[in-house]
Amino acid sequence: MQTKRFMSAAVAAALAWTSMGHAAWDGADDLPTNPLPCDGGGGSVAAKPYDGGTPSGAANMAGKKISLVDVPKLIGIGYFNATALGMQQAAEELGNVDVVTDGPTEANIDDQITFIDNFITQGVDGILFAANDPVAIAPVLKKALGQGIHVVGYDANSQPDAREWFVNQAEFNGIAKSMVDAMAAEIGDDGKFAIVTSTFTTPNQARWIAEMEAYLAKCHPGMEWLETVEAQEDNVLSFNQATTLINKYGDDLDGLFGMTSVATPASAEAVTQAGECGDIAVVGLATPNAMKPYVKTDCVRSVVLWNPVDLGYAAVYVTRAVVDGDLKPGGTSVDAGRLGTLQVINGSEILLGAPYVFDKSNIDGFDF
Amino acid sequence: MKLISGSHVHEKILALMLIIALTVLSMLTDKFMTVANILNQGRLIAEIGLVALPMTLIIVTGGIDLAVGSVLGLCAIVLGLAWKSLGLPLGAAMAVAVAVGALAGCFNGLLITRMRVPPLITTLATLALFRGVAEGLSQARSVRGYPEWFFFLGQGEIAGIPVQVIILVAMTVLFWFLLAKTTLGRSLYAIGSNEVAARYSGIAVDRVKVLAYGLSGLMAGLAAVIFVSRVSTTRSDMGTGLELDVIAAVVLGGTSIFGGRGTIVGTILGFLLIGLLKNGLALTGVKGDATIVVIGLVLILAILASNLVERLRDG
Repeated sequence: MQTKRFMSAAVAAALAWTSMGHAAWDGADDLPTNPLPCDGGGGSVAAKPYDGGTPSGAANMAGKKISLVDVPKLIGIGYFNATALGMQQAAEELGNVDVVTDGPTEANIDDQITFIDNFITQGVDGILFAANDPVAIAPVLKKALGQGIHVVGYDANSQPDAREWFVNQAEFNGIAKSMVDAMAAEIGDDGKFAIVTSTFTTPNQARWIAEMEAYLAKCHPGMEWLETVEAQEDNVLSFNQATTLINKYGDDLDGLFGMTSVATPASAEAVTQAGECGDIAVVGLATPNAMKPYVKTDCVRSVVLWNPVDLGYAAVYVTRAVVDGDLKPGGTSVDAGRLGTLQVINGSEILLGAPYVFDKSNIDGFDF
Repeated sequence: MKLISGSHVHEKILALMLIIALTVLSMLTDKFMTVANILNQGRLIAEIGLVALPMTLIIVTGGIDLAVGSVLGLCAIVLGLAWKSLGLPLGAAMAVAVAVGALAGCFNGLLITRMRVPPLITTLATLALFRGVAEGLSQARSVRGYPEWFFFLGQGEIAGIPVQVIILVAMTVLFWFLLAKTTLGRSLYAIGSNEVAARYSGIAVDRVKVLAYGLSGLMAGLAAVIFVSRVSTTRSDMGTGLELDVIAAVVLGGTSIFGGRGTIVGTILGFLLIGLLKNGLALTGVKGDATIVVIGLVLILAILASNLVERLRDG
């Protein structure tokens, strides 16, 4: 495995050491940004017509008991155990939904397709999925739609026309706002910070950084960006890069952003080992389990992500609403039990809500 | 008992197990034994079968090829890049992909024969190497947007039969003929039984081996093209873990891992048993992780039964 990673890293570096899209911050892409308002609240959402698919000749099961299958990217990991738990909670609350979670034991596009295909043959009322690849999964999902099966995605989207709705756990500008607000709360509106990311061209990270830059300019203009460093998604490299930043800027450095679930704990470890806990804040995207040690020692106060239990919960509520006819193409919101009313965005996506910030008070409630 | 007399004991046991499995599964669910389901399954597992054919040849020589999954991934990426980045016509890109597969296979064969590195080590190394190159070339980006005609291979059908199933049947006949009826086939058995003796009998051992590994790469390339056509996108992680499915089918099919013994018929029976068992269990509602356990047990059972019968017969 190590060899493989190394090889690919080496070859990748050799082949494409060329373009680094230059916005003002390194590591940001140059797509248009849409920073959220500083005070919370939704922000402007451009209306977009429904672009999801429609099952052909689906039986009318409104109000009747339906059986759903959930095919996550893979089974047996904490994250998707959490989404499956949320689905069971929703099924129990609704009382007229059965959900079975099954899928590949590795995040493998081929195995996932086979699972879905078998469920189509078996005959179910609805399929929930988290795609390992948005395009590869499309033919089998379209096959399901073609046989009158409802299809709803969560966590990882497919091509829009291959499913009806997608429950989007967090928008880029929402993550950016949570990250920057959390950092501002810790280092103040005149703090200086650096960013540890995967590579300058990794799509999600580049998007988040661009949105962070835009949101910061709008809402915390006094904060100062120092530098962005690349650390692949490599534990040792992330640690080394964070340590280099700490040494390079000394007292000037007030905070570090970790842009990947590897960079964030590695940055926290670097700050811990440098004895700078409390002097240098670490805010980042990461899973609770990786961050528990640092949160418990108060070295890290906020870990930004979303709540996967809520994500699974919402996916089942959305599917029920689709089957019951409460959520139709063109709809603008959907009722999702304890989560309240969720908004429709981007034509056929349902936004879970603001990102979830894990801190000392709640992190022990999560195991992924 | 007729079963234990004569040749091809293992194949007979496998056929029996297959029939039992099919019967039991079709009693458990009426969704299983339908033409539509069986043909659909053929579509989903054809790539494993295509690669299992040359793998039988290699294991018959006492070798192994762990790199097939990585070769498949590499060929898929080459297909995508040759078409999208180099601007080759898609037909030519397909040919380039298969050729790269054959070259990768020959590279394995040359390392094994010229450098005298054991096949297990060589192909373990190239498993990492080819996958690394694929990941580096792809830059973690998928190539998509293939024209509609390209999907014929992976998603189309002729007279209701999936195209790749027809290809698999044709290739099976070809490889069966190659292994059972030609000098080359007998050379493969000879090498697997006793390589030194084969060498002294005037068999061009090295050339035959390179050919076997080259064929393996070629078929992995072909499987890659079909796979890309089936899922309509190109990714560098395609074919991850394929080697294990393929080797399981071949070994379940009675090919001795020590070489010298094995048939294409056995491989196909093993391939069908695993594929249909997985599908049937899924349709009866058995969960994915439990299915893997059952497959493991069947592998052990088949090999135990075959050993027992042989001991009864010989002893």
